[in-house]
Amino acid sequence: MFLLVNFASLENTKCTFDEISRTKISLLMAIYSFWIFDKHCNCIFDREWTLLSNSSSGTINSKQNEETAKLLYGMIYSLRSVTQKLSKEGTNNEVRSISIGKFRIHTYCTASGLWFVLLSDYKQASYSHVLQYIHSHIYVKYVTRNLLSPYDFAENKNETRGQGFRKINNRNFISTLESFLAPMILQ
Amino acid sequence: MEKPSATGGNPSSAPKQELTEQQKPQHQLQIFQNSLPKVSQIVYMMLLNEVVPLSVAVEEKRDDFSSKLEEESDEVTQTEEQLQRLHINPPLDSPSHQLCRNLYEADEEKHNRVLDRLRSIGFQIGNKVTQLLVFSNNPNLQFKDMDLLSVMKFICRDVWKQMFNKQVDNLKTNHRGIFYLFDYEYPPIQSFGLDSESSEKELQMVKPFLEVAVGVIKGVLASLGYNSEDVICLASYVDRPEEKPKTSFGKGVSFHVQVTVQ
Repeated sequence: MFLLVNFASLENTKCTFDEISRTKISLLMAIYSFWIFDKHCNCIFDREWTLLSNSSSGTINSKQNEETAKLLYGMIYSLRSVTQKLSKEGTNNEVRSISIGKFRIHTYCTASGLWFVLLSDYKQASYSHVLQYIHSHIYVKYVTRNLLSPYDFAENKNETRGQGFRKINNRNFISTLESFLAPMILQ
Repeated sequence: MEKPSATGGNPSSAPKQELTEQQKPQHQLQIFQNSLPKVSQIVYMMLLNEVVPLSVAVEEKRDDFSSKLEEESDEVTQTEEQLQRLHINPPLDSPSHQLCRNLYEADEEKHNRVLDRLRSIGFQIGNKVTQLLVFSNNPNLQFKDMDLLSVMKFICRDVWKQMFNKQVDNLKTNHRGIFYLFDYEYPPIQSFGLDSESSEKELQMVKPFLEVAVGVIKGVLASLGYNSEDVICLASYVDRPEEKPKTSFGKGVSFHVQVTVQ
């Protein structure tokens, strides 16, 4: 209930950045990695933290994570199609989180085909507000509204269907995202 | 409703239910502002920024067209070209970020042509914004005996407020026709950014986005009787003062305005 109240005020954007961060610290949760996929099945951003309790450790947009990204994408994609088939006609049945033995995957899909994926431990059930905040206040602000950055990361036909390699390297996006997610890496 | 602080009369002497002379225009301004249609700030800002890729695209199309005219030699190629130009779905322009990069890489001459186009778009906007603000019947505006300083104040306060929803942060002058308008958070460019290592390139690429405001300043001055030949207006970057909170775009903008008065 405590969480719900806090995030309800977040949606009115009255809640400042610090307040959100403090809420997160008080909950003591841990996240492991964060991914963004676009509508062309490409991974356009990945961030992995290797050392817990150290927000600057780990990799950003690394080549090594390409295979992991594909596996992750495949898993969410198949679970999505399963849930679409299981749902009744006319109702959309989105995957919100997938719990596996060691960790939990949280997903947030937009109508424009972007997937925001967060890997975390079991301490918190729902990260959908966090992912929604990342989409509306960080992605839209620093990628969509930035005329110097592409809005579609596949520049030609050859880069669609999971063949793309372009990533979000925007400095504002990365730094804001880092400072937003940093308090959650506490163990 | 608040009375403007500059008014001389004693407010308590006026009857409460009747509006005083100063309150009437305030009231009218309020009614006018409420009657204005409201649009989304973000959409308006995006459109204002989209003017830059638009100008680049227009310049590029013009180049293509003029080079095609020169190439026109015999009948066959001409009809072939005409056939090529016939599209059921005309191809889209390149995406905006590509056009911005083209402008950054363009040669001096083309770069200047695009900037001129941007300034003239801003000029038209500025001309009309003055008209709108005069019409708005704002009691703070006295256009009858306006000297250059109050015209510049009008730009800083009312024009900026109308266009960018904020005022210019600082205005400096030497009282001889040179003015500096400092805006430390020029709103249209606040979300812009490139990769971390290319900050010099970033500043160069963002620079054309300031030209619209340059045109607006010139347009407002022109509509208030200062010919655009007598006005020099340039935009440049300045460092933000320490006490200002940090924003995503690291630099403030300074508009240098020089007016030669005969």
